[in-house]
Amino acid sequence: MNGPKVIFEIPLFGGIKVTESIVNMWIIMAVLVLVSIWLTKGLKVRNPSRKQLVVEKIVTMLNNLVKDNMGNGYLSFAPYIGTLFALSIFGSLSSLMTMRPYTADLSVILSWTIVTFLMIQANNIKHNGVGGWLKSFTQPVAFITPLNIISEIANPISMTFRHFGNIAAGLVITSLVYGGLASLSAAVLAWVPDSFLAAIPIFQVGIPAVLSIYFDLFTSFLQAYIICMLTMVFVQSSGK
Amino acid sequence: MGEYLQFVTIDVWTMIFTWANLIILFLLLKKFLFKPVNKVLDARAEEIENTYKMAAETKSEAESMKGEYEQKMLYAKSEADVIIKSAVEAANRRSDSIVSDANTQARHIMEKSQKQIEQEKKNAIDEAKEDIASMAVDVAEKLIGKKFDESDDEKLISDIIDRI
Repeated sequence: MNGPKVIFEIPLFGGIKVTESIVNMWIIMAVLVLVSIWLTKGLKVRNPSRKQLVVEKIVTMLNNLVKDNMGNGYLSFAPYIGTLFALSIFGSLSSLMTMRPYTADLSVILSWTIVTFLMIQANNIKHNGVGGWLKSFTQPVAFITPLNIISEIANPISMTFRHFGNIAAGLVITSLVYGGLASLSAAVLAWVPDSFLAAIPIFQVGIPAVLSIYFDLFTSFLQAYIICMLTMVFVQSSGK
Repeated sequence: MGEYLQFVTIDVWTMIFTWANLIILFLLLKKFLFKPVNKVLDARAEEIENTYKMAAETKSEAESMKGEYEQKMLYAKSEADVIIKSAVEAANRRSDSIVSDANTQARHIMEKSQKQIEQEKKNAIDEAKEDIASMAVDVAEKLIGKKFDESDDEKLISDIIDRI
């Protein structure tokens, strides 16, 4: 199984490889921004259009999600959580459009969870000061400080592998299923004399869709939700 | 066949691009999605708040006006009562005075007419007496054929008539 394909290389710093993941992310970002611009065109205070009701619902849901999990003081996090959620879910769902999901790229997920990690530490420093932040590692007793540091570092790593692992496993399993179904079709159609007809992978029609409901739709949504929830919960609890 | 990265690998440039993308998308979504929608939501919340406030103000105003009117109505009613009462009293007084005036006048007229009747009666009696006296004198003259001294005779006759 290959990793993301290198689409092109920027001849700087000894060659910057721009992979499929990044290009697909750009496509998703462009779509998200254009849809946002279209949805928020001509907003009205009174008599909102159906389109406006939809966009209001989306924003209200994200605001409420942040409010419920983090409290009113963290409402400025809503756009970030929305961004993370949109990038995650549409990245995973892009596999439905035959794009390689960039959420199955370890580097991408690791970048996101490192941002979460930095947010947690920054929020801790913001609320408790540098002294309080350093002291928080020695709580509740001093000798578990190494464990606290490990658990802090383990947080982004476990989040990364949870998200990456789920989507990547889905990708692998879907590929295996396609491969297996192709072999099965070939075996079943071996008696057909015409080589062109015998090469049609008939079992690939429909059957993978059932698995796709779990591996693409359900897992995509679940992982996007989990990474956002964990980010919110960790950042919020670090500010205590 | 293009070049592929490893399936599980950490590529620094991918991470840098991802961070850049994350920040860019965050800023763009904030500008194009969250800011305008939150603005509209806030504006609507404010408008609703204002509407409620205005409704409460109007209601309290209406209530105070209602109270004022009720007080005015009460005052007007009591004033009307006073006016009616005084008018009735005045009318009663006036009718009393008219009736008493009429009574006095009637009594006066009655007394006057009584007196007049009495006078008339007396006059009639006196006249009758005189007539009878003079008739008696005439009769006596005719009978006796002699003329009496008028005054003496009349006196005499009046005495006689009185005695009748």
